Amino acid sequence: MYRRLLININQVRNRLIHTHNTRLTLPSTKCKERESFAPVAWAPCTSRPLGTSSISFSENKESSTSLSEDKGKTPEETEVNAEVNTDGQRNTEMNEGTEISNATLTSQLETEPVVKPEDRKQVEKTKSGKESLLELLGAMKVEVTTVRKIRPSKTPRMSERPDQEPMESTHSMFQRATAEGSQQHGTLNPELVAAVSAAASTLPNRHQAESELLKQLRKHEAIPDTQRRADIGHIISDMKVGKRPNGRSNVRPTSQIRFDDDGKGYTQDRGITSELDGKVFCPTLWDIDLANQIVQATNQMPRNGFEEMIQWTKEGRLWQYPINNEAGLEEEASVPFHEHVFLEKHLDESFPQQGPVRHFMELVITGLAKNHHLTVQQKKEHIDWFRDYFRQKEDVLKEAEAYLN
Amino acid sequence: MASSCSQALRHHVCKSSRILRVHLQKAWPNRSFVLNPAADQQPAVSSPEEIVIPKKKTWSKEAVLQALASTVNRDPTASDYRFQDDPYLTPKTSSEFKLFSLSQESGRNAAKYFISTYPKYFQKDYAQPHIPCLMPETLEAQLEEVSEAALIERIQMRKVKAAVDLYDQLQQAGTPVSLDVTNQLLDLICFYGDCDPAQENVPEQRNEETVGQENKLSHNKRSPCLVFSFRENNNAERVFALLSEPNTHSYSALIRGMVKYGAYSKAFSTYTDLLNNQLKADVSTFNALITAAPEVKEKYNEKWELIVDLLKQMAEQKVKPNLLTLNAVLKALRRCGTVGKSQAFPVISEMRALSIDPSLASYNHLLSIFYKPGHKGQTDILQEVMNEVSGKSFTPQDPDDAQFFITAVRICLDTKDIEQAYRVHELLGVGENWRLLGNDFQQNIYHARFFSLLCMMENIDVVLKWYRDLVPSVYYPSSNVMRDLLQALDTDNRLDLIPQIWKDLKQLGHGNRQTLVEELLTLMAREKQNQEVQETFAECALDIKKMYDTGDRGKVMMSWTAGSLSDLVSVLLAAQRRQDAWEILKLFKTHNRVPSEELLDKFLTCIKESGDVNQALELVQISAGFCLPGTPKLIQRVQQEFLLSEQQK
Repeated sequence: MYRRLLININQVRNRLIHTHNTRLTLPSTKCKERESFAPVAWAPCTSRPLGTSSISFSENKESSTSLSEDKGKTPEETEVNAEVNTDGQRNTEMNEGTEISNATLTSQLETEPVVKPEDRKQVEKTKSGKESLLELLGAMKVEVTTVRKIRPSKTPRMSERPDQEPMESTHSMFQRATAEGSQQHGTLNPELVAAVSAAASTLPNRHQAESELLKQLRKHEAIPDTQRRADIGHIISDMKVGKRPNGRSNVRPTSQIRFDDDGKGYTQDRGITSELDGKVFCPTLWDIDLANQIVQATNQMPRNGFEEMIQWTKEGRLWQYPINNEAGLEEEASVPFHEHVFLEKHLDESFPQQGPVRHFMELVITGLAKNHHLTVQQKKEHIDWFRDYFRQKEDVLKEAEAYLN
Repeated sequence: MASSCSQALRHHVCKSSRILRVHLQKAWPNRSFVLNPAADQQPAVSSPEEIVIPKKKTWSKEAVLQALASTVNRDPTASDYRFQDDPYLTPKTSSEFKLFSLSQESGRNAAKYFISTYPKYFQKDYAQPHIPCLMPETLEAQLEEVSEAALIERIQMRKVKAAVDLYDQLQQAGTPVSLDVTNQLLDLICFYGDCDPAQENVPEQRNEETVGQENKLSHNKRSPCLVFSFRENNNAERVFALLSEPNTHSYSALIRGMVKYGAYSKAFSTYTDLLNNQLKADVSTFNALITAAPEVKEKYNEKWELIVDLLKQMAEQKVKPNLLTLNAVLKALRRCGTVGKSQAFPVISEMRALSIDPSLASYNHLLSIFYKPGHKGQTDILQEVMNEVSGKSFTPQDPDDAQFFITAVRICLDTKDIEQAYRVHELLGVGENWRLLGNDFQQNIYHARFFSLLCMMENIDVVLKWYRDLVPSVYYPSSNVMRDLLQALDTDNRLDLIPQIWKDLKQLGHGNRQTLVEELLTLMAREKQNQEVQETFAECALDIKKMYDTGDRGKVMMSWTAGSLSDLVSVLLAAQRRQDAWEILKLFKTHNRVPSEELLDKFLTCIKESGDVNQALELVQISAGFCLPGTPKLIQRVQQEFLLSEQQK
């Protein structure tokens, strides 16, 4: 049964892709129709700005059709969902063949809420089949429209949103992302979405899988977004903040003493003591005193504003003037570029050598390779997240024969 | 700053980038931040195949700011940068300068003190990223338990007493303290001479004090508390005695402490102790001992022999001397009389052989050896030194580096060598050398000497050029220097500039210096100038009179003397201001001063020109009132030269 279903779905999808392709050029009227409702949908959804991408629609649909867990949905949203649903229906009507073959499933779906728990598993499987179909249809259709339409209206919105998250470790963000419900996001590349669907279609609970995967991808869209908006100073500051948490440490590090004990510009004379630094002992009190005496004896008063700024820079009070393109990249300074770009080596060990998962991961690393906002460590963490994820789902993937080794 | 900066920047921006580049290339080699000459590297054009890969340039993080700072020249019309925030606080006199700069510094210190004393009110960290130097320092010990970590913490906080107490507690408890930590403790005790350090928040004032004592020999300036600090069985020696196996570091700390606090002979006996224990001393120990050498011996020869002995032992123990060793030897030679003169050059060449470059302090000691104050030395030494140093940029390496410029300019003044003075001043402009001029006090001394020399040696135009350049943006001349300037004006016969100088004098706060003002009046009254100049003189004289009348509260009031009054009158008479002069003449009576006969004679001549008979008679009456012997002569003149009515006769 399951097998046949899958084959069915695959067929449907293939056909859909064809129709999708044709439709891409087709419906200008539909776009207009969408335009008219789009602003309405925008306004009230504050807590969850209705993702313009296909995904959030699909998610909504999923939740409304399945166990109807979130009752708290606003009427507007449901309205939209209804629209989408009808849209989806309309689409499915175009593909008559599939419609017929799935008719039974639809009825099953309607009765789903009353299905007994013991039947659940099977129901889920069937449901997923049907749903995924609707899903895909809906998603693809919306894509066509949203990509073109709603995006312009989205951009100001994005800029309005305050930077609520300065850079954290991406890892923790992934975790939160999985914990949280759906999120708002920018559009994803349709190809990527398709790939995700393909990968997810191999799973039994494919909606969840798909949404998780997409969420993960979108997270990554979101992070660079916030980063992009933050100016370079923020990046620097964030990096520093990330490294050492705020609040003053009670015990002064030994290297700091030299700095604190003489009011001004002591660092200047570090030349003397820095030689000693390299050796076995750190500067003794006598060395500090010598440097202090020299500072006292010489004229350390700034003669103009720039010299004052130099003094402040040395004291660590002033943001460093960038002297090359790597300003603020202390963390990544020692990492060569190929670590950033050639990420295939991270895929070797525990990912399948071929198949949809592999394909998906290759797209992921391509995206990461082009992402200049993440550190290598963050990229590795990102890949590790997927590794864990696919490992968890390994048995399911194997069952679906998608995990090919 | 803003204006000068922006001007300078605009100046640069206006030029095309090519010119800018050329300009910067010219400027860069002089600067220290350029780590390699990569900036000037051009692709080699020798052969087309050969590709020269330029070296990677390494810039310091201040490189951009340094490049920008180098575009800003000093603005001779602006006051010091630190006063530019508030025009109201622009200092006009040297005392104001001192007051404002010290209060600025003490304001900072007060803020720092409060932040450090009450850290709990300053916990909010606004800075993103975190700025450690803006946060309060921890002054209270955090670790309360008796442990080595707590001891280290107290050592880092430089709490001498607390650290010693804790060490004792540790000893009593039988906890072993590592040799390293004990050495640190020993360092601390010896450095502060077994007293808790005073609050170090008055650096400016300390500067003043140390400079004030500069001319005294350094060993005399120990405060009483410190002299007694190396008494028998003090904590340093006690801790040292508790060490089972003291190493070089322990000995070094003890010896340096002893030398610092004047226990010179004790330092040498400790050194013998060190040798007996089969240990080697380190270079800082030797430096301290060389500094102490002149103190333990009486005769010049013995002093020198001791130093040579120490240097030989350094060679034996394979201790490499450093720049401070060289400077310590030269400083000791300053106190070795004639031996110093013969040995100074061999020492320097020896150090050159060890590839130690002399710093400005070395040259300072050298100059001091050869030029004792009050004696005329050989000028060629200064010339040689200047040949050696000119055009070089020095970095501060020794606390005595800052003495060089004032010593050099003192010698120039003593020997009246204007040429070398110019070279010294030129050296000051090279690179970062201006930092080595020292603090405000030393800057003042330097400029005073330099300017006095200029007044003495140069013609007035050059002097005035320097005057406009230096005063008052970097230098507030004292009244003595201003008198030098007046003399220079006198010698070059440019007395017409006096009113201008008077304005400056008033602004510099010398308007109430009686001697200076009297000299000014004498100069004005001495010769008859042309009409225009006389007019300005008269204005100036009346201004001076106002100065006498008002006299600021709290300042010393100037009192009229006969000389100053008669000078004033003659200046006014020369400018045909008879009425004003008449007023002044009355002042003689109120201040109980007696006018000279010549003055009255001059006055009468002036009255005659206007033909005012009544005033002439009054003059005679005044003269009679003073019972001057010349009164009959005056009467006679009046009778001859004026047409008098019967009654008047």
